[in-house]
Amino acid sequence: MSPVSPSADRPPVDGQAPAAPGPSTGHDRPPTLLLSAITARAARAAPLWRAVSAVAMAFAVTAGLILLAGKDPFQAYAFLLRGAFGSWDRIVVGLNKTTPYLLCAVGIALCFRGRVMNIGAEGQLALGGSAAAAVALGMGESPGWLVLLLALAAGAGGGALWAGIGAGIRVWRGVNEVLVTLLMNFIALLIVAELLHGSLGEEGAGFPQSPLFAPSAWLGKLVPRTDLHPGILIAVLAAVAAHVLLWRTTLGFRWRVAGASESAARYAGISPGRAVFGLMMSAGGLAGLAGAIECLGVHYRLIEGFSAGFGFNAVAVALMGALNPLYVVPSALFFGFLETGALAMQRQVGVPSSLVLIIQGLTMVFVLSGLGRAGSAKV
Amino acid sequence: MDAAVLLDFLSASLRIATPLLLAALGGILCERGGTFAVGLEGQMLAGAFFGVIVTYFAHSAGLGLLASALGGMLMALVVMVATVRFHAEHMVTGIASNILALGLTSFLLRSIAGGSASAMRVPLLETWAVPLLSDIPGIGPLLFRQPPLTYVALLLLPPVILFLTRTRAGLALRAVGENPMAAFAAGIDPIRTRAAAILAGGALAGLAGAVLSLQQVGTFTDGMTGGRGYLALAAIIVGRWMPLGTLVACLMFGAAEAASLRLQAFSLPVSSYIIQMLPYLAALLVLAVMGRGARMPAAVGQPFRTR
Repeated sequence: MSPVSPSADRPPVDGQAPAAPGPSTGHDRPPTLLLSAITARAARAAPLWRAVSAVAMAFAVTAGLILLAGKDPFQAYAFLLRGAFGSWDRIVVGLNKTTPYLLCAVGIALCFRGRVMNIGAEGQLALGGSAAAAVALGMGESPGWLVLLLALAAGAGGGALWAGIGAGIRVWRGVNEVLVTLLMNFIALLIVAELLHGSLGEEGAGFPQSPLFAPSAWLGKLVPRTDLHPGILIAVLAAVAAHVLLWRTTLGFRWRVAGASESAARYAGISPGRAVFGLMMSAGGLAGLAGAIECLGVHYRLIEGFSAGFGFNAVAVALMGALNPLYVVPSALFFGFLETGALAMQRQVGVPSSLVLIIQGLTMVFVLSGLGRAGSAKV
Repeated sequence: MDAAVLLDFLSASLRIATPLLLAALGGILCERGGTFAVGLEGQMLAGAFFGVIVTYFAHSAGLGLLASALGGMLMALVVMVATVRFHAEHMVTGIASNILALGLTSFLLRSIAGGSASAMRVPLLETWAVPLLSDIPGIGPLLFRQPPLTYVALLLLPPVILFLTRTRAGLALRAVGENPMAAFAAGIDPIRTRAAAILAGGALAGLAGAVLSLQQVGTFTDGMTGGRGYLALAAIIVGRWMPLGTLVACLMFGAAEAASLRLQAFSLPVSSYIIQMLPYLAALLVLAVMGRGARMPAAVGQPFRTR
């Protein structure tokens, strides 16, 4: 099983606009075996090369900024590395940080493959977390596994529902989904604020947060005596499932056709509108699940701002992972560990951790430029 | 509602609409040339940041304003190189440049100001009353007793309209946004045109950021634009890529926010968070109601290649 079919990441053979990656390209066999091997290798190598060079360039530019700020970039990066991988505890923190990135980015990769520019992961994650918190708080002393299961399901459902509203506005009213999901993010964050200052809030906490969940509703530990929760396993499973769904099922095929060409999809009897709903709600469900895992496995409560930045960062993760659910795994690991490392670096060297945002932004710009130059003008 | 309350409400609407309008005018130039202006948010943020930094160190509001326009252009340059030179996808490139601007401004603020980031206060741009006209009851204080950038935003409207509809350059810009190949065949350079439009848009968006930092708040805080760039983007669509329509949309969003600020003072049964959703809900609602009626420039988002 090749991890990516040639249609997934078209090799930069020439500057021409690529043929639509329709139903057949995935199974096309170029005339000779040799040629086939070469194009397949190029297709596989291109995203990796693009990601590695984009990250390298982002780090190089950022090193210049650190230098400008009067600090030693090598020392800063050394502390960043040590902060990310210096001890088992740090690695555990990194893996936990990776989890929401991975879940959100898998959904975004699916959406972007179907050419649905879903930028709403943050709102979907926030509402998923809120739904999970409502279940965890509302069920109180019920058996733990039931509460957990229902809370996770509520998280996924909440995220999917929120994304579904966006999909509805996109499909029925024809409003661009980037704008819809962006605006819905702000509304979602205000809904969470409303919940925390109202029905879900903890009295007299002094900070907008919910009461602590009953320990029966806590996501357990994957490895005893560490903070590692099973979220990373769920996320990796989701990535594999999304890969299979996208490349090995009729539904995934329909989504890809709808993304490649709306008219082709219509001609083949595939409803582009239904594809948008399916894609957005899957992504929303994954983001909502990420929110639930954050609340049930990390904070053990709903707190204000727990969703901050995940949505946009997940877009960076998905892009660096070449919009391939499997490649998104290393990409999410990279960004997860980058963030934990940067927080340590800020403490040790005094280089602001907002550096991470610069690296993320630059990586995205470089990857997008690489994609555009390679001829796949549309993501 | 008596006249004073109404006047206060309208003037607050205009105040809140000012940054939206400036950014949206920049966005119109950019989008009429065929590039999605999702990067407005980051361009505003960079404008707000560089405006404060330069005003603080140079003690000159004029230099500060220049710096904010240049700051907006700096972020626009990133978008320009990525989209025009490398044909990167516009929407996500815009988002990326916004993340970059958020990180860059936060990083530079801490590097320059160290621990005293919050102490970097600059004097606000002063309200300037137009002689005579500002004494007209009602409309006088509303339109003619405003801070300078509000005048700039309003006075920019006629030139932008004239530029788009009555000049060769404006025609070229619209042609590139509608059909770059045809424009190319007619001897227009779509690449240069788009590049210039993106940069000009960035300068206006940078000034929009200066409205927030130099005219309204007097300092810079991380992410202080808080989604106004995206609202400006919505205003462009609601205004159907026309300056006057966009002005109306901006005023509408301004009124929604002004209303939400004022409603919070009353003890309403709904909480302030629900009321704060008003501008976003208004934007979504108008977009949804207008639906497919909005026709965007035909080639927006499409890369131009000569090969």
